[in-house]
Amino acid sequence: MSETVLEVRGLGFARRGSDGSSQSVVADLTFALGRAETLALLGRSGSGKTTTLKLINRLLEPTAGSVHVAGQEVTTARGVQLRRRIGYVIQEVGLFPHFTVEQNVALIPRLERWPPARIAARVRTLLGMVGLEPDTFAGRYPDQLSGGQRQRVGVARALAADPPLLLLDEPFGALDPVTRVELQREFQSLAQHLDKAMVFVTHDVREALAIGTRVGLMQDGRLVFLGSPGEFRSCPHPECRAFLEAL
Amino acid sequence: MSLIEFYARNGREALGLLGQHLVLVGISTAVALAIGVPLGIALTRRPAWRRPVLGTANVFQTIPSLALFGFLIPLPLLGGIGARTAIAALVVYALLPIIRNTYTGVIGVDAAVVEAGRGMGMTDGELLRLVELPLAVPVILAGVRIAVVVGVGTATIAAAIGAGGLGVYIFRGVATVNDTLILAGALPAAVLALAADAGLGALERRLSRR
Amino acid sequence: MSPTATRRWCRATRVAVLLVSLVPACRRGDRIVVGAKNFTESDLLAELVAQQIERRTALTVERRLHLGGTFVCHQAIVAGEIDAYVEYTGTAFTAVLQHVPVQDPDSVWRAVAAEYLERFGLVWLPPFGFNNTFAIAVRRADAEREGLRTIADLARVAPRWRAGFGYEFLERADGFPGLARTYGLRFAAPPTAMELGLTYRALADGRVDVIAGNSTDGLIPALDLVVLEDDRRYFPPYHAAPVVRRAVLLRHPEVERALAELAGRLSDAEMRRLNARADVERQDLAVIARDWLAEHVPTP
Ligand SMILES: Nc1ncnc2c1ncn2[C@@H]1O[C@H](COP(=O)(O)OP(=O)(O)OP(=O)(O)O)[C@@H](O)[C@H]1O
Ligand SMILES: [Mg+2]
Repeated sequence: MSETVLEVRGLGFARRGSDGSSQSVVADLTFALGRAETLALLGRSGSGKTTTLKLINRLLEPTAGSVHVAGQEVTTARGVQLRRRIGYVIQEVGLFPHFTVEQNVALIPRLERWPPARIAARVRTLLGMVGLEPDTFAGRYPDQLSGGQRQRVGVARALAADPPLLLLDEPFGALDPVTRVELQREFQSLAQHLDKAMVFVTHDVREALAIGTRVGLMQDGRLVFLGSPGEFRSCPHPECRAFLEAL
Repeated sequence: MSLIEFYARNGREALGLLGQHLVLVGISTAVALAIGVPLGIALTRRPAWRRPVLGTANVFQTIPSLALFGFLIPLPLLGGIGARTAIAALVVYALLPIIRNTYTGVIGVDAAVVEAGRGMGMTDGELLRLVELPLAVPVILAGVRIAVVVGVGTATIAAAIGAGGLGVYIFRGVATVNDTLILAGALPAAVLALAADAGLGALERRLSRR
Repeated sequence: MSPTATRRWCRATRVAVLLVSLVPACRRGDRIVVGAKNFTESDLLAELVAQQIERRTALTVERRLHLGGTFVCHQAIVAGEIDAYVEYTGTAFTAVLQHVPVQDPDSVWRAVAAEYLERFGLVWLPPFGFNNTFAIAVRRADAEREGLRTIADLARVAPRWRAGFGYEFLERADGFPGLARTYGLRFAAPPTAMELGLTYRALADGRVDVIAGNSTDGLIPALDLVVLEDDRRYFPPYHAAPVVRRAVLLRHPEVERALAELAGRLSDAEMRRLNARADVERQDLAVIARDWLAEHVPTP
């Protein structure tokens, strides 16, 4: 493994209920990720995938364990600074409806006060990278895009400031199967020459096997499997079997 | 005497009163915005304040205007008689729709959009300035529209406290049982309210297209 | 329409017509309807009138208080909807009979009584005594310090003082313009035009120094104000008196006898005190009227 970008050790998160009892949502997560590695985080709905991503970029405060991003313990960084170095595509995409595609993608570079010319060039590169013709799409508003196009913009936006780590929460959810496979393929080639560490959340085992250089399977907040796609295929754990049967 | 005759004879005075009326509504709306928008935003950050603040604004709004003037006259800074007191009263009446709509507008911004912004590393301030407020503007504007339309009507009672405005004609007309005088004040006030409503409505529609 | 329906319809109409024709018969007889304008003093005087009639006669009195302004009450009594209400001579003279205001109380009284009887069949009974006219009022402390007793005295200090007046007073022919001319009044600034009720507050809080209230206003004693005497008799008289339909008095002369006992019993100060009990102390009108009648118009 090349230099470690993300290191998660004994990570846990418990919600405090209104009655004072604490309920574990995520527990005992340990894994590390280097450059050009993609962890496909697989699991049923409610298994804690989104929560894990939010613990990594500190939208949620861990109640146990530690997270290091590029060697820095996340709890020692200011949340905002940390998150600007982590690309994040949320499950619902969440494009800003009052911004054009260009303004959406340019947001973080703008807040980081890049020179306008550099921002413009970056936006064009990124749109091209995610397969959106800049001249056609840069000036459109999100409500003038199809669902798939919106998700491409979401990916471009997360890549804008060239972060070493990318968190993607079901970026291709809610798409028709054909488009979905197409996007997966494009994403794979994108990931290969991007040289980033990525955590890619999905509940689709096919997608996980296609995109992940490694696969992690979550069940009830715990990692019940972590290994290569090949190892996953022969994993004896009942939850693995359940997913493989869906293939 | 017909209304047209009346205006022909008292045009300068009528224009002066109309000007006073606009100043009363303009200043009070500006002040209510300066207080109400930050307060409405604060409520979205401090949910516990919501009930007491909106409740208080609500109670203020139900105070009859003459009674409110009664309370205001003895107050040291805002009080007395004249335009300042009238503006204070108009601000009190304008606050509720502005606070409430600011709160509703900001709280109503799609949670996914806010979460995306936060997840990308926007600060609270950036999120508010670049995302939440712009998206809430149509709703806030709807509140301003209510405040202005109500304000144009309510400003006629500024004449009860020597602050001028179109209400002067209405009060004079009522006091002397002169329908022409009442109309001379009420009609332009109504037209003004309708114009403000239409103008702000158009602006609101334009801004809410996105 | 089917024949049965038509028959039923006809019967219903006949019953309705019969009922309507019965109405005047049940309304009249031994019932007196007393109305009032829409302000406290008018309600209070109507209550006095009503209770006095109830004490002295066998008639039932129906109260229709707080009806509306002068116009509404006048229309109602002319139409026979009410039988009596309390009116002010000056108001009847200028607002109802449309005469130019006149200062002399006796000529106003004579004109009003004669024209009401002739034109409307309405009788003015003897007045209560007080005169509810405009009252130029100042704070007691100021009046004592400056030695003010009359409006003429006020003219001396006016250039240093501020005035706040109601719109009616500023606009009316018998209001401020004439007053200023009669007394040579000139204030530090043009008087502030305000709602009448708020002028009292503004005076009490020192925002203005002179106001024009109504001489029987309960706020005058409540706020410890002094009414300056109209020594040049500028303000027209507004004496209050019961106005009653002649037809009622012909049928029930005991009403006239009962109300005659109230004549001249209420001074300005007395009326102010009664108004204060209603407006300032928020006492029940019926209670105020009962107390006052028991004390001032004892049953022999
Ligand atoms: N704000 C919240 N308050 C309480 N419980 C929550 C909250 N958010 C998530 N949970 C709970 O935490 C658990 C993990 O949720 P999480 O969103 O991480 O699941 P997920 O694996 O992303 O599911 P999905 O595939 O449906 O998106 C679930 O049981 C969920 O109900
Ligand atoms: Mg999720």
